[in-house]
Amino acid sequence: MEFPKNFKYTKDHEWIEAQGSTGTIGVTAYAVEQLGDIVHIDLPDAGKTYKAGDSFGTIESTKTVSDLYMPVAGKITAVNASLKGAPESLQGDTYKNGWLVKIEMTNPADAAKLLDASAYEAFIKE
Amino acid sequence: MTISSNQNHKTPLYDAHVAQKAKMIPFGGWVMPVSYEGVLAEHKTVRDACGIFDVSHMGEVLVKGPDAAKFLQWLTINDINKLKTGGGQYSALLNDRGGMIDDLIIYRLGDNEFFICINASNRDKDFSWIKQKSAAYDVVVTNESDAWAQIAIQGPRSTDVLATLLTPADAAMMRTLPYTNIAPVTISGKPSLLARTGYTGEFGYEIYVPASVAQNAWMALLEQSSKFGVKPIGLGARDTLRLEACYLLYGNDMNDDVTPLEAGISWATKIDKGDFIGRAALISQKTSGLKRQMVAFKMLEDGIPRHGMKIFHGDTETGVVTSGSVLPTVGGAGGMALVSTTLKEGDDFFVDIRGAKKRAKIVKRPLYAARTK
Repeated sequence: MEFPKNFKYTKDHEWIEAQGSTGTIGVTAYAVEQLGDIVHIDLPDAGKTYKAGDSFGTIESTKTVSDLYMPVAGKITAVNASLKGAPESLQGDTYKNGWLVKIEMTNPADAAKLLDASAYEAFIKE
Repeated sequence: MTISSNQNHKTPLYDAHVAQKAKMIPFGGWVMPVSYEGVLAEHKTVRDACGIFDVSHMGEVLVKGPDAAKFLQWLTINDINKLKTGGGQYSALLNDRGGMIDDLIIYRLGDNEFFICINASNRDKDFSWIKQKSAAYDVVVTNESDAWAQIAIQGPRSTDVLATLLTPADAAMMRTLPYTNIAPVTISGKPSLLARTGYTGEFGYEIYVPASVAQNAWMALLEQSSKFGVKPIGLGARDTLRLEACYLLYGNDMNDDVTPLEAGISWATKIDKGDFIGRAALISQKTSGLKRQMVAFKMLEDGIPRHGMKIFHGDTETGVVTSGSVLPTVGGAGGMALVSTTLKEGDDFFVDIRGAKKRAKIVKRPLYAARTK
């Protein structure tokens, strides 16, 4: 299972790729494997502002619904519309075309405090 | 999933599931495979080819003796006198309030011998109820649940797959066995039972084999995978399959407070057959008029309904989702709901999905027309 080195991770299994003040957010390959078939994703509208740890949407598999949590504080600037009709496309492509939202980070330095790839990998092995 | 327990029993096929890398979960006091390759793929396998399910967690109760038929006629809702030797019928146990203790299938093995298949999570509750109620009758009630493993073989290729496990004579018999019937067969040299029943809406069988040969039978069935496309199926797809066929799930769609009339199984409720436990309550409910009914519905807007979500008509709360999911074969999402009898087929309502009201519509039951015959 792959965890890109240039991403940061949360214990709730989100990843964030920070480029300047822009953050791209998704869920990890591990989360996708645990969920099984993904059948629905509920995402917010652009313009909404969240604190770190806020639920910004849900991801639903055939059996369970899980909340999606903001890795850092920020304002939604873009939502991946291609997932709306085809949530299953997240499977196998969670780090590129499977991104969920892009945000304008309130404090771009926040992302650096999250888990790096090896710390996240160690966490899921616990 | 309804019940979890600290005491998680393992079926005789537990090791096989783990070896096949199934995702295991606690269910009704058991550790069961929820999926192998994925719920949607498994669902499709059963609709298109053949899937096998470990349903050994289900319970079996044997009722035997001169009063067996008389006793079951009083204990259960369906008409036992319509059941000939070799036949099976869908039925239920009711409490005095007419609420469902369990739904079950009764097979008649002989004039005075009946084999009852009950739900996993109700094994102890059902057995003590049956035992307690049998006191005044000349019958012997035995809990055979641990002696039997049960494997369901479901899907259009089921006959071909199962034939490989049977003697030529048993295989020939299987091909003419009518829907819901049961017959004794020999599997791995052991006396077993073969029923033409299932919980998927597809043509198929359920076999009861002694626990000691379960693993043998399971592996032999899977050896047919290259030839007939048979694959192991978990509880996840079992749930989406049964939901499309609108088969009830105890603990989700009904419980001790739901009567069979409300649950939509009045076809199996023979009020005119004579007295039975819960009958008086059903008659009084019928006389005063049903207040709620089980309906099938489909979502008209985005979102997946789930068990327990509230249903609104306008601003009025008018029911609850009892089972909901994506509907892999039918398409979209939907499920079953207990709603006010003021609503009828074709009516719209809203499902409250985590605070967002999403439009849905009552449709004809079932969502998927069963191909069991």
